[in-house]
Amino acid sequence: MKNKKGLLLLLGVVLYSTQICASSNVSLLDGYEVSVEQDNLKKGATIYYNLCRLCHSLKYIKYQHLLDIGFSESEVNTLRQGKLMNKAIVSTSTPENAMKMFGMVPPDLSIMAKARKQGPEYIYSLMLSYVENSEGVYENQIFNGIKMPDVFSYSIAQGEQEKQAIQKDVADVASFLTWASDPHATERKSMGLGVIAYLVVLSGLMYLVMRRVWRRLE
Amino acid sequence: MTDDNKSLEEPLVDDPERRDFLNTVTGVVAGAGVVAASWPFISSMNPSSDVLSKATTEASLTGINPGESKTVEWQGKPVFILRRTDDQIKNMTASQGGKDPEADSDRIQKPDWLIVVGLCTHLGCVPSRSSDGWFCPCHGSKYDNSGRVLHGPAPSNLKLPPYKFVSEDKIVIG
Amino acid sequence: MKNIISWIDRRFPLTSFVKKELTEYPTPRNLSFWWNFGSLAGVVLVIQIITGVFLAMHYKADAALAFDSVEHIMRDVNYGWLIRYMHSTGATAFFAVIFLHMARTLYYGSYRSPRELMWWTGQILLLLMMATAFMGYLLPWGQMSYWGAQVITSLFGAVPFLGDELIIWLRGDFTVGDATLTRFFALHYLVPFIIMAVIMVHLVALHSVKSSNPSGINLADKDNIPFHPYFTTKDLFGLCIFLVIYSYFVFYQPNMFIEAENYIPADPLQTPVHIVPEWYFLPFYAILRSIPDLLGGVIAMTISVLIFAFMPFLDRSKIPGGAVYRPFYRALFYVFVIDVLVLGYVGAKPPEGYLVFIGYFATALYFGVFAILPFLAKKEELWLRKKGLPPELEALIQSEEKQKAERMVARRKAKRARK
Ligand code: FES
Repeated sequence: MKNKKGLLLLLGVVLYSTQICASSNVSLLDGYEVSVEQDNLKKGATIYYNLCRLCHSLKYIKYQHLLDIGFSESEVNTLRQGKLMNKAIVSTSTPENAMKMFGMVPPDLSIMAKARKQGPEYIYSLMLSYVENSEGVYENQIFNGIKMPDVFSYSIAQGEQEKQAIQKDVADVASFLTWASDPHATERKSMGLGVIAYLVVLSGLMYLVMRRVWRRLE
Repeated sequence: MTDDNKSLEEPLVDDPERRDFLNTVTGVVAGAGVVAASWPFISSMNPSSDVLSKATTEASLTGINPGESKTVEWQGKPVFILRRTDDQIKNMTASQGGKDPEADSDRIQKPDWLIVVGLCTHLGCVPSRSSDGWFCPCHGSKYDNSGRVLHGPAPSNLKLPPYKFVSEDKIVIG
Repeated sequence: MKNIISWIDRRFPLTSFVKKELTEYPTPRNLSFWWNFGSLAGVVLVIQIITGVFLAMHYKADAALAFDSVEHIMRDVNYGWLIRYMHSTGATAFFAVIFLHMARTLYYGSYRSPRELMWWTGQILLLLMMATAFMGYLLPWGQMSYWGAQVITSLFGAVPFLGDELIIWLRGDFTVGDATLTRFFALHYLVPFIIMAVIMVHLVALHSVKSSNPSGINLADKDNIPFHPYFTTKDLFGLCIFLVIYSYFVFYQPNMFIEAENYIPADPLQTPVHIVPEWYFLPFYAILRSIPDLLGGVIAMTISVLIFAFMPFLDRSKIPGGAVYRPFYRALFYVFVIDVLVLGYVGAKPPEGYLVFIGYFATALYFGVFAILPFLAKKEELWLRKKGLPPELEALIQSEEKQKAERMVARRKAKRARK
C-alpha cells in the first residue's frame, strides 16, 4: 500500500515536471513571449539585418543558418550579396570605424540573449527604455551612458499604435537573438520530452522489478 | 499479502512466467535506452556542421587563360581547374587514355574546362602540373590533360568532383 | 561461455570475486534510499568522464580559441550541445549527490568506528572533486571562469613568504593566462582518473567493514541480505529517478547553473560587477569572505572543508549510531544543515548590509557546531543513560566495552609474554 502511494506520488511529480517542460516559454514584457515561430524569427532576422547589422555582428551565425528559420535559398542569396554561405554575418561597419564613432566596438550579438540575466527580457526592455531628456538628447533608463542611439525611435513614437508596432518589432528581434544564442533549443526541448517520457517508463518498470524482488523478504 | 508463504518457501521463484516477462521487458527497454544514448556520442565524432558546410566550394573561372590551370580547395582536397587549349582538347578527344580507358567526353561538362580532384589515385600525393598533363612526384604516376593515368603505379584516372556551372565563369563544386 | 569462464577462473578469481563482492555481498536489509547516493556518485563520475572525453575531442585549450571552441561544440558539433550540457549539469549533479551522501553519513554516524578510513578517503575524494570542478570551470574561458580562477589562485598569496612566487608558479604567468588554461585542462583531464583510484580504496574499505545502516548498530548476520538482486534493483531504480531529474535540467534548465556572465569571453581588463563561484562552493566562499583578513579567511575556508575529517575524533559518544538514538546530536545536525544553507545564500549575494553580519554569525556557528560536539556528546550520553536506554542498546554498549577491555587485556598479556 505504502509502495503504491509512493508510485503515485512519483508519477505525479514526473507528470508535473513534464508539464513544466512542455510549457517553458520565456516571457518578455508587455505580454510578449519569446517566439520560436519562423514568421517571427524571420521578421526579427530581417530587422537585425537592416538595422542592428549596421553596428553589430553575429559572428557565430552563418548565412546558411538562416535557412533553418524559414528563409528560402534565394532569399539568403540576396542577403549574402555574393558572400559565401558558410561565412558569418558580420556588421557592415568595420571595427575601426566603430572605434572612431563610439570609442568602442559594439558587442557581438550572437550570444547576447544568454550573456545577460534574463537575456531576452533584457534586450526587449533595453530597446524600449529610451527617453528624450529636456535637451532633446536620448537617454536610456536601464543602461546609463549607453552609446547606442534609439534605433527603434521609441522615445519619439507618437500614439499607442506606433508604440505597439515598435514593441512587436523589438519582440521579434529579441526572439531572433534568443534563437541565435541557442539555435538547438527547440530540438533540445522536444528531445527532452522523449527522453523524460522514456525514463519515466523505465523507472516504472524498474520499480516493479524491485518491488517484486523485495516482496520475497516480507 | 496472500502469496507471502509461497514466496518464503521458494524465495527465488514467484510466478516465474510473470517474472521472466517483466525482466525481459525491463531489460529490453533499458538496453534500447543505452543504445540510443550512445548515438549522440558516436554522431559527435562525425564531421560537424561547419566542416560539412565546407562541402561546397564556389570557384570563379575568370582570369584563367587557355593552357593555364588553377587549384582550389574543396573539402580540404585540392581540385585542379584546367582551361584547355583547342589543341589539347583535340588530342584528348582522340585518345582513350592509358590503363584505365575512358572517353574524354565522359570526364567533362564543357570541353575547355577540365575539373578533377588533384589527388593521385595511387596513395594520395598531389601531382604537379607539366605541359602535357600531371606528374606525381611520389612514385612517378603520369596523367594526361584529361586526368587519365598514362603510366605509373596509379590504378585509375583522377577522380571527378561533382560540380555545376552556375554561370559562364563560376562553378560550384560539391 | 562456461568454458571461457572456467578458463579465466583458473587464472583469475572472476567467479568467486563477483560472488563475494557483488552478488552475495552481505548488505543490511534495512538500508533506506539514503544509501543510494554512493553508487549514484559512481554513475555520475562515469557520465562526467564519458562526456568529458568526447568534449575534449572538440575543445581547444588555448586562450585565443577556447571560448569559440565551446561555442563551436554548442552549435556545430553533432549533439555537441547535449554533451556539453550533460557535462555542465553533471558537475552540479555530482556535488548534489556527494553532499547528500555526506549528509547521510553525518546523520547516521556512518563515519564512526570502524569506518573512519571510509570517511577519510571520502574526504580526499571531496577535495579532488573540488579541484577538478574548479579547474574545469576555467575551461570555457568566459568572464566568470577567468575571474573565478584569478581570485582563487590569488588566495595562495596568503601563504607566508612564498605567496607571490606560488601564485605565479600556479598560473605560469603573472595573471591567469594561456599557460594557466592549458595546465588546468591537462589536470582537469587527469584528476578524475586519480579519483577513480581513490574510489577503489574507498570501496575496498567498504567491503572490509561493510555498509552501516539506519539503526546505527551493526546487524546480526541474519539481517544481512545478498546485494544481488535486492540492492542491484534498488540502486537501478534510484538511478532511474536520478536520471529523470538530471534530464529535466539537461534539457530544460541547462543554463540554470551557468552564470550569464560566463557567456562573455574572458576580459583581463574588466572584472564583472559581482563574482560568484559555482553553487557548490558558496558556503565555503561565504566563510572566506566573512573573515576580514586574507590569511585568516583562507585558513578558515581550508579548515571549513577539512574539518569533516576530524568528526571521528570530535564525536566520542558511547551511544552507537548517529542521530537516531541521539536527540542532541540530531538537533546539532539540523542546525548545521541550516547553517550551511544560510552560508550558501550569503555567499551568493553581494556582501552588503545585514548580510555581512549574518555571514559572521553563520561562520561562527559553522565552527561552533564542531567545537561543541565533543561536550555535547558527553552531556547527551550522561543524560540518555540517566533516562534509561533501550535494553538492546545498553546491552550493545556493555558488550562493546567488554570487548574493548578484553582487547586491552590480551594486548597487555602479549606484551608481558614478549618480555
Ligand atoms: S602517390 Fe602518386 S604515384 Fe604514388
